[in-house]
Amino acid sequence: MSEDKTDKNQEIIGFACSFCTFKASEMAGSLRMKYPDGVRLVQVPCSSRVDPAFVIKSILEGADGAFVAGCHPGDCHFIKGNYFTRRKIAALKEMFDAFSMKDKLRLFWVSAAEARRFVEKVTGMYNEIKEKKNAGKTN
Amino acid sequence: MKTGIFICHCGHNIKHTVDVKKLSTYFKMFPSVTVSEDYPFVCSEPGQDMIKDSIEKHGLDRVIIASCTPSLHQELFKDLLKKSDLNPFLLRRVGIREHCSWVGDDVDKNTEKAIRLIKAGLYSSSHYVPLEEKRVDVTKSALIIGGGVSGLSAAVFLSKMGMQVYLVEKEAELGGHTRNLKNIWPIGEDGTLIIEEMEKELQGRENVEIFTSTTISSFEGSFGNYEAVLLTRAGEKRIVAGGVIVAIGFSPFDPQIKPELAYGIDKRIITTMDFERSIDALSLPENPRIAILHCVGSRDEQIGKPYCSRVCCINALRVADTVKEKYKDSYVESFYMDVRAHPRGGEEFFEDTQEKGVLFTRSNIAEIIPGSKGVLVRGEDTLFNELFEREFDLVVLSIGMSPPEDNRLISSLLKITLDKDKFFLEAHVKLRPYDTAVKGIFIAGACSGPKDIEESINHGRASATKLYGFLNLGYAFVEPFIAFVDMKRCSGCRMCEKACVAKAIKFDETKRLVHVEEAACMGCGLCNATCPSSAIGLRGYLDNVIDDEISALVEAV
Repeated sequence: MSEDKTDKNQEIIGFACSFCTFKASEMAGSLRMKYPDGVRLVQVPCSSRVDPAFVIKSILEGADGAFVAGCHPGDCHFIKGNYFTRRKIAALKEMFDAFSMKDKLRLFWVSAAEARRFVEKVTGMYNEIKEKKNAGKTN
Repeated sequence: MKTGIFICHCGHNIKHTVDVKKLSTYFKMFPSVTVSEDYPFVCSEPGQDMIKDSIEKHGLDRVIIASCTPSLHQELFKDLLKKSDLNPFLLRRVGIREHCSWVGDDVDKNTEKAIRLIKAGLYSSSHYVPLEEKRVDVTKSALIIGGGVSGLSAAVFLSKMGMQVYLVEKEAELGGHTRNLKNIWPIGEDGTLIIEEMEKELQGRENVEIFTSTTISSFEGSFGNYEAVLLTRAGEKRIVAGGVIVAIGFSPFDPQIKPELAYGIDKRIITTMDFERSIDALSLPENPRIAILHCVGSRDEQIGKPYCSRVCCINALRVADTVKEKYKDSYVESFYMDVRAHPRGGEEFFEDTQEKGVLFTRSNIAEIIPGSKGVLVRGEDTLFNELFEREFDLVVLSIGMSPPEDNRLISSLLKITLDKDKFFLEAHVKLRPYDTAVKGIFIAGACSGPKDIEESINHGRASATKLYGFLNLGYAFVEPFIAFVDMKRCSGCRMCEKACVAKAIKFDETKRLVHVEEAACMGCGLCNATCPSSAIGLRGYLDNVIDDEISALVEAV
């Protein structure tokens, strides 16, 4: 049973701001950049729309990781939505740390032009989680 | 609930890595799904007819279209729903092309991912409610930032069409870089003449206001009614514009960033711009030896400018040509990587200069050392793989285009995005090449990437045409994705009021409740994520919509 769980593809839920990161993901798609199929996005108008409850819900329901991604600080379409996100996610990370699952949550800034950065970030996160999981399996 | 799912093959784009037949059969087993079809091109005329017929025949109340990314063809499908008497906000687009078939090669994995994505759409769309688009009045006026060729040509077009135009230029006179050019490709005309021609067309027009030596200090509002504060020499001026065209041009590359070129140290090392200005003032010997360097500040990863600046090859060739015309027995050597003489007639001109005796050497230049007798150019010939050193009387650097100096300022003021090279980014490189992601703000000219004068004028006019089409109606519809308050749940804690950046949430002292000022709400959803009692929601992105989307994405298939 446990083997089933580890052999299964890792699943990562990403909350992507529709002005920057979601656009970057579209661009990554049209440039035919490859990234793991376990990465799935939820489109939100601004990264500040992400209620910490969404992140917790994703993890509770079985996602191996969750990330919140938005525009670079200072570039927010809604003026300073991403500053709120930064504070909120920092607090949430503290909480995740207390349950030793700090690695399951990431926050990154990807602008609409940075398709490559988007792919690097999600692939990096995916592979790290996969490695951790496989290491756990052998022990 | 009667949901119709339409899965697009997009020719082979989706079909070759996603098992579309499996998808359409899979979704037939859901009780809430009435129709589940796959079709080669859903956006084609017959594809649209199929959807329309299905809506009418089965009385569908949710439509899910799994095809390209939501930002493509969104309006097309919204119109389709409207034509079928269905509220366009009951449409859900699922991006199985950009987010699924194009990012993986494994058919099984992609099909599974596509199932999850469509399921997310299916679950979340069950919470959708019909929404009304709000009609707003649009001010028929345009703010044009930048008075170079592209800004001027946009201003000429818009003013001729009867639109109020505010033209803002940072410098004391209009014209940008074009004014300084003496010899414009391919006609050899003086740049000042082109600018004066355009200025003449603007003169005396009542609907044009030109602000020179002016910068923008603040910018707010939304499409149709942007408000900008201009800092003119006479003081502040507040204007209201329906739309904006950003045409702030470029900055010439500063060769001092590359110290090995010794630019600025010796006056025998000049740029193509300097050459334009001072061709007659150069004190050259009778039979001068001249070196011309291509790609200075272009196609150079080390200084973060990997792009081709397009205009500098033709500039370099023109310098070579001018020198050869003036000094028949001169020695002109051109050091290039590739010659990309891209505009019309460029290749023929390249051949002409070769016939005139200009020597072309494919090379990498290592350094330039000014000496007492001449300037030493040291580099590697990349065709013969050998090092060389040669002395010249003059070195001309063909400089490329860098992003405009004010790119960061304008992008943060107007909330528009820069691309990886720090030029302005268009909304879609092929389908919306003049728009930015913000409605009513357009870009024109070299501020969206290197362009020559002809292209800049074209770009300016095209943006002006697009903007005219946006503003001409006098009204527009805005997306109804705004916040609303559930009075029964609101406890009056005022957390959302503190969080709201747009100051759209107002507190009612007597009822001890908050309410949303719809006109001011930007629809970011920050209040929704902040409210401790879930009393405030964002239309279109309600909590249960996103919750169900998450559940669909992670639940076992």
